Amino acid sequence: QRFRFCGDLDCPDWVLAEISTLAKISSVKLKLICAQVLRDLLGEPIEYDKILKLTSDAKLESGDVKATIAVLGFILSSAAKHNVDSESLSSELQQLGLPKAEHAGGLCRSYEEKQSPLQDRLRACSLRLSQLGSVRWRVDYTLSSSELQEVNEPVVHLTFNVCDRECEKMTAVPVTLSANKFWVLLAGEAPRGVAAGTSL
Amino acid sequence: MLLVLSAEHRAHLGCLPRAGGAVGELGRLALEQLRRGAAPRACESAARKLNISVDIIQHGVEGLVYLLTESSKLMISEVDFQDSINVLGFSDELNKSLLQLYLDNRKEIRSILGELAPRLPSYHSLEWRLDVQLASRSLRQQIKPAVTMKLHLNQNEDQTAQVLQTDPATLLHLIQQLEQALGEMKMNHCRRIVRNMK
Repeated sequence: QRFRFCGDLDCPDWVLAEISTLAKISSVKLKLICAQVLRDLLGEPIEYDKILKLTSDAKLESGDVKATIAVLGFILSSAAKHNVDSESLSSELQQLGLPKAEHAGGLCRSYEEKQSPLQDRLRACSLRLSQLGSVRWRVDYTLSSSELQEVNEPVVHLTFNVCDRECEKMTAVPVTLSANKFWVLLAGEAPRGVAAGTSL
Repeated sequence: MLLVLSAEHRAHLGCLPRAGGAVGELGRLALEQLRRGAAPRACESAARKLNISVDIIQHGVEGLVYLLTESSKLMISEVDFQDSINVLGFSDELNKSLLQLYLDNRKEIRSILGELAPRLPSYHSLEWRLDVQLASRSLRQQIKPAVTMKLHLNQNEDQTAQVLQTDPATLLHLIQQLEQALGEMKMNHCRRIVRNMK
């Protein structure tokens, strides 16, 4: 059977198995655990002790607590990934055996509140090879040189600061251009008044 | 299969009779060294207790470590172990405690030795992205799909990442080749070998 929140594929076996663990927790506590899991998915630190306290009533072992966090994380991030609205998610979770009124409803309400921020966060985490951090520039005017007494030419210095994926390494790429070459970079063609084929 | 102990090794183990009842202590030190690496301070305190110099205790512990790892590595039988240490000319009681030390810890030592083998980089995770190139400086109005992947690998606690890019047709071909490789496991030849290994 295909589920939209699993990307129109079968639901993974481990998710099916853990739904029954979710049903053991009261719906109020489930909503609070959802809030914690959403914090973790949004990049904020998760408060594991609070979750342990919330699950202590249901007498879950430590393995079950971790499984609960994992299955909630999967459901919420997978639903956001495939852009599933909260009603469809609720009906699909009920098909998997999550009790309707309290559990599925509470979970989907938490999901609905945070669906947009979650999707923004997932978009920001998508694969990106490198990123332009900043550009610095300076224009100099060369008056004279050892080769020619009167040069009178502007020169553009650019430094591109390139960020590595996780912004750990910043590499500076310095470039120096003559005014004409800078025009080519900017406009894609040589400035008027320069003969075609002139080397710049 | 008998262990051949070099003269230097025999000299190092020669301190064991002097330790008398503290052979158990030295055995424990040897095992700790196998699990966690050398602990000079523990050797020093043992040396003070037994009133023997630190160097001799150190050599004795290292000698025991080598004896245990070689025996566990080759998985030698009780009889062979006893015959190998008979060369050292120890008392029967000492021989028995060494044999007991070997038998009790053989399995653990083998699992530690198993982890020392060099490992190839192993899969950690895969990020992917589907892009479509619509235009470039040289050519406008294109449709060129490309899949960009970042393969994260683990090698001895080092994390490396490899960036790969391919078009969808090559990716499908790659998937087909990998599925053929998995399908090979179901062939008779593989099945026969797997059955015999169990």
